[in-house]
This record gives sequence, C-alpha cells and structure tokens, in this order.
Amino acid sequence: MLKYSIKRLLQSLVTLFIIITIVFLLMRLMPEEGYFGDEFDKLDVAQREAILASMGLRDPIHIQLGNFYKDLFSGDLGTSIIYRPKVPITEIIADKLPYSLYFGLVAMGISLLAGIPLGALMARSKNKLWDKLGTGYIVFINAVPAAVYFLFLQLYVTDIFKLPILFRPDKPVSWILPAISMALGSTAHYAMWMRRYMVDEINKDYVRLARAKGLRNQTIMLKHVFRNAFVPMAQYLPTSLLFTIAGSIYIESLYSIPGMGGLLVDVIQRQDNSLVQALVLIFSSIGIFGLFLGDILMAIFDPRINLQKKEGAR
Amino acid sequence: MASPKIKLSIRDLVIKFKLRGQVLTAIREASLDIYEGESLAIVGESGSGKSVFTKSFMGLLDGNGWIDSGSITYEGEDIARFKTEKEWLKIRGKKIAMVFQDPMTSLNPLKTVGKQVQEAVELHQGLKKEEAKRLTIEILDDVGIPDSESRYKQFPHEFSGGMRQRVVIAIAIACNPHLLICDEPTTALDVTIQAQILNLLKNLKEKYSLTTIYITHDLGVVANVADRIAVMYAGDIVEIGNSEEVFYNAQHPYTWALLSSLPQLGVKGEPLHSIKGTPPNLFYEVKGDAFAPRNPKALKIDFVEKPPYFEVSPTHKAKTWILDPRAPKVDPPASIKILRDQWGGRKNA
Repeated sequence: MLKYSIKRLLQSLVTLFIIITIVFLLMRLMPEEGYFGDEFDKLDVAQREAILASMGLRDPIHIQLGNFYKDLFSGDLGTSIIYRPKVPITEIIADKLPYSLYFGLVAMGISLLAGIPLGALMARSKNKLWDKLGTGYIVFINAVPAAVYFLFLQLYVTDIFKLPILFRPDKPVSWILPAISMALGSTAHYAMWMRRYMVDEINKDYVRLARAKGLRNQTIMLKHVFRNAFVPMAQYLPTSLLFTIAGSIYIESLYSIPGMGGLLVDVIQRQDNSLVQALVLIFSSIGIFGLFLGDILMAIFDPRINLQKKEGAR
Repeated sequence: MASPKIKLSIRDLVIKFKLRGQVLTAIREASLDIYEGESLAIVGESGSGKSVFTKSFMGLLDGNGWIDSGSITYEGEDIARFKTEKEWLKIRGKKIAMVFQDPMTSLNPLKTVGKQVQEAVELHQGLKKEEAKRLTIEILDDVGIPDSESRYKQFPHEFSGGMRQRVVIAIAIACNPHLLICDEPTTALDVTIQAQILNLLKNLKEKYSLTTIYITHDLGVVANVADRIAVMYAGDIVEIGNSEEVFYNAQHPYTWALLSSLPQLGVKGEPLHSIKGTPPNLFYEVKGDAFAPRNPKALKIDFVEKPPYFEVSPTHKAKTWILDPRAPKVDPPASIKILRDQWGGRKNA
C-alpha cells in the first residue's frame, strides 16, 4: 500500500513537472504586452526591452525555467501585472480562495449528503415513485440550462423567504442560496451515479446469496450493496474537490461573491501573463492531486486493485 | 420398512411470471415430496423450471414472479402463503440453504471470505466475535480449504473457482440448515474439481445430516449423488422414482429422450442422439402432455388431455398415457431397452 502510494505520488509529481514546464514554455509564446499593463503604449522599444530584461525575460529559456522553479520552490508565484498591478499573486489568491473554497465545500457536502442517499433510495425503489421523482429531478437538472434555474432561484426564492439577493460576507443568511444553487447540479450527478452503481450491485449474484443466507434486506443493502456501490463513487470525490476550488463562475457573478470563479477567464482576457501561469499551475496541481487521491481511495476501498503487480496495475 | 418422514411437501404448485406485459406459467401444478435425509436430484433441460421451483421454497423468486396457487408445506406450515420478509427469514438459511451455480460471482468481492461465512454463523448460530470466528475457521476446514486460518482473511479474488465454490458451500453449512438446495453446484467448474465438490457435498450431507436437493442437467452428477430422481419438463415433474428405477426403467418418453442423449449410450460411429424441437412456449396454456409435440411416438390423447401419474412401483411414478392400461404398446428406444435388460439382469442376480 505504502509502496503503491509512493509510486503513484512520484508519477503525479512527474506529470505535474511536465505540465508546469509546458505551461511555462507556452506562456513565453504569449504577446509580450501582457507584461506591461496599461503602460505598454507609453513606452518606447528600448524601455520595453529594458523592462523585459529586468524581469529576466531576455535570458536564455533554460535559465528562465530554472529561475521560475527556484521561485516556485520558495513559494513565490510572482506578481500580478494587470489584474491588480504589483500585488503578489499569492496574496490575490489568498483573498479569493476562501470564498470559493467555503461555497464549494458546503455545496459538496450538501450534494453528497443529499445525492448519495437519493441515489440509494432510487435504486431501492426502482421504477416506483421515488425513483421516478428522482429521475425527473436528474433529467430536469441535466436538460435545463443551469442559468435558468439559478436565476429562478435568485428571483423567486429570495422573494419568498426574504433572503438577500446579493452576497454579503457579514450576513450569513445571504450564504444559503448560492450554496444550495451550487449543490443542485452535483446532487443530481451523485444521485444518478449512485443509483446506477446500486442497481448494478443489486442484480449481482452475491446479493442473491446474501438473501439465501437469510440476511435482512436492509442489512444486505447497507453492508453489501451500498458499500460496494460506493467504491466506484470514490473516484469522483477528488474531482469534485477540484471544482470547489476553481469556483463557480456563474453563481459567483450572480450573487457577486468575490471568489475564484471566472478569475482565470478574466486574466486570460486581460493578458495578465504571470497570473495566468500561476492559476494554471495551481489548478493543474490540484487536479493531479485529485486524481492521485482518487486512485489511493480506490485502492483502499477495493482489495481487487492489485498493488504488487508491475505492469498494467492501477 | 417404516415410511420415511416427509420434510417438505409441495402440492399442485403454480408459479407465474409477468414478463413484458404477458403472463408466463413457469411451474404448472407440480407436486413433490421430499423425505428427511434423502438426496433428491431434479433434472431437466434449461428453462424447465428447476431453479424457479426450488427458489420458491425460500421466497427467492424474482420480483415479477409469484406463487399463484398450490402449497409448500414445511414442518406443518404452508410457506407458499408467506408474504413478508419477516416470515421468510424464519426459513432462509435457518431451515433451507442454497448453493448457487456460479462461484465466481456468488461472493461479495469486497468482503473477506471469512467475514462472509461468519455473517451466516453469527446470524444463525447465535455466536459472537471470537467464538464465531473459531467456528467459521472450523467450517472452512470442513469444506476442505487448507490453511483456513490465513485464508479467513483473504478476499474472493484470491481463491480459485473450486475453492470459491467451497466457500459458497461453507456459507450454506454455516447457516446450519436442515435442507440444502444445490443449484447446479458443479456446472461452472472443470471436471476434476466437479468430482471433488460432489464428494465434499456427500460428506457434508452425512456429517451434518442434511436433506439435499440437487438441481442439474448433468446426468453424471445425478448418478453420483442422488437417491431419487425427479424429471422436470415444462414446469412439471413428469417422472419420479429411485435413481435406479429412473435410470434403468424409465417410463416417460421425455426421460427416454434425456437418457438416449447420454453419449455413453450412443452407438459408436452414429451421430449422438438429440431431442428435436423446443420446449413449449409457456406464455400459452399447455394442452395435454407438454412433451407430445416433440415426441415422435406421441399418442393422440397426449395432445388432448394432461396425463395423471401412473404408478410403476410404490416409489416410481410417471405422467404419461403410455402407462394407461388402455394405451397401445409403445416401444422405448433401443438404448432404453438395453438399460432395462441390464437392470433386469441385476435384479435377478
């Protein structure tokens, strides 16, 4: 187990290294005005060259890469250029991340707590009322563009329950709706997969044997079916974690939450090169970490995943 | 000889299934007595209703199936009328246990083998933790799993097919049942392992004084283990008798056809015998003898009226009009004649 984890971790680090290097190299191909902000037009060519040289961007590429990694390991992601000029990127992220993280985690919690029991309930009452209601909900969420029901919630639910329309950090009630809105989609997602895996498991022979053994249906569901169906669900958890950190563009702009949502799109449009680079780096590390975590979780839950075999084992 | 005690008595059982809006009659008024301590084999081709028949003894019919009429009497109680899970829990495992066909899928892949057996031990023998574990390991020993103490902690994927079937049997034994139903226990195993598993089942039957029912389409298995044989066709038992009677003195044309299909009875150089046609469509009501359309020697009445049981000996009866005193004499196929001659020789010897 430990050996497998370490091996998987090393693989992840290699992947991360490759991604970071590629992103860094790609960023060098971006138009250079991204390093100047508003001052670009005011500067002549010699001044621009001087600034670029002072930023180390005229050094040979391998030196630049080396410097970049050196800064990275000391926790320095550089400073923003256009988005919030001269502010360290770590500071910008530290400002915004808590909001996204908070809403993301709460939404994830809600959707896990609601979606997985819902899926289990649907599987147990397959083709009966609960299953049909649940399916209706899942189809609705998947078929109707999120914008529609997000807006609907904001418009009417705030009215009915007298909730504030916009987010205010000092008013906890204003935190409710965004979190719930964010949870709607992933609840449907979890419910759908949980139902599917449960139905898969219920039809397996070992469930029949467990019944023949004289186990109560409830015990079978809980100790055999639910547990086994949850194993493939484990692989979704880390990815969901990633989404919580990336933030929801739509919800955050709808309720004007100062989170991470849309930050990446924003800084790409405004060509804030160093910030783009830092964000891609952060997101991809979290993504890779998520996959790593997913694999480890699967290995913990499923004894069939052979950790000793050298080839093809994963 | 005192007549043996009846363990389970099935009378005129009708089981129906709803399938794609249509109703299918899987078991058509089948009756059967199972005696205490005996080993009965139910033989028949795929789809004849063998599995459905025995599943109904444990309330394990699929959700779209139900017992339409008839009774299943176990220790004086008609279990065919059971509706709730609570009622069935008195029977399942506790009284009747089952060994399933495919050991590769019958075990929960994410639970250790020991835990799965122990679950049954704790449930039915009222033991807790350490004691239960000790008994579990004992049972694993009993079913011939070597090194049971360390095997206890392993997962099903670490076992071979034959070993897994031993575990499945261990689970059934751990329930401490009176009646053990083995639903094609060796079909998924290779031949050498088949013999081992059959031997194991025979030994366990003695050790735990079980009554056993084998469901199989493999007549080799039957010859090996059964005291009595019930031949099932299209949801009804068409012939039943002691093993020797059914093997050597078969009366029903379907039993003839089954036996003639044994490669051992074929003549070298000639093509193997096979039964022409397909079983009747159970979505429609079957008229007369269900086997008549596939029986080249069928009588006219076979198509009109369902034959009752005719007694061949006190222990042997068959549902075929051939046995009616008024019926014309129908010659069995050559291979059946050979069997009868052999039996006659044995009887006289």
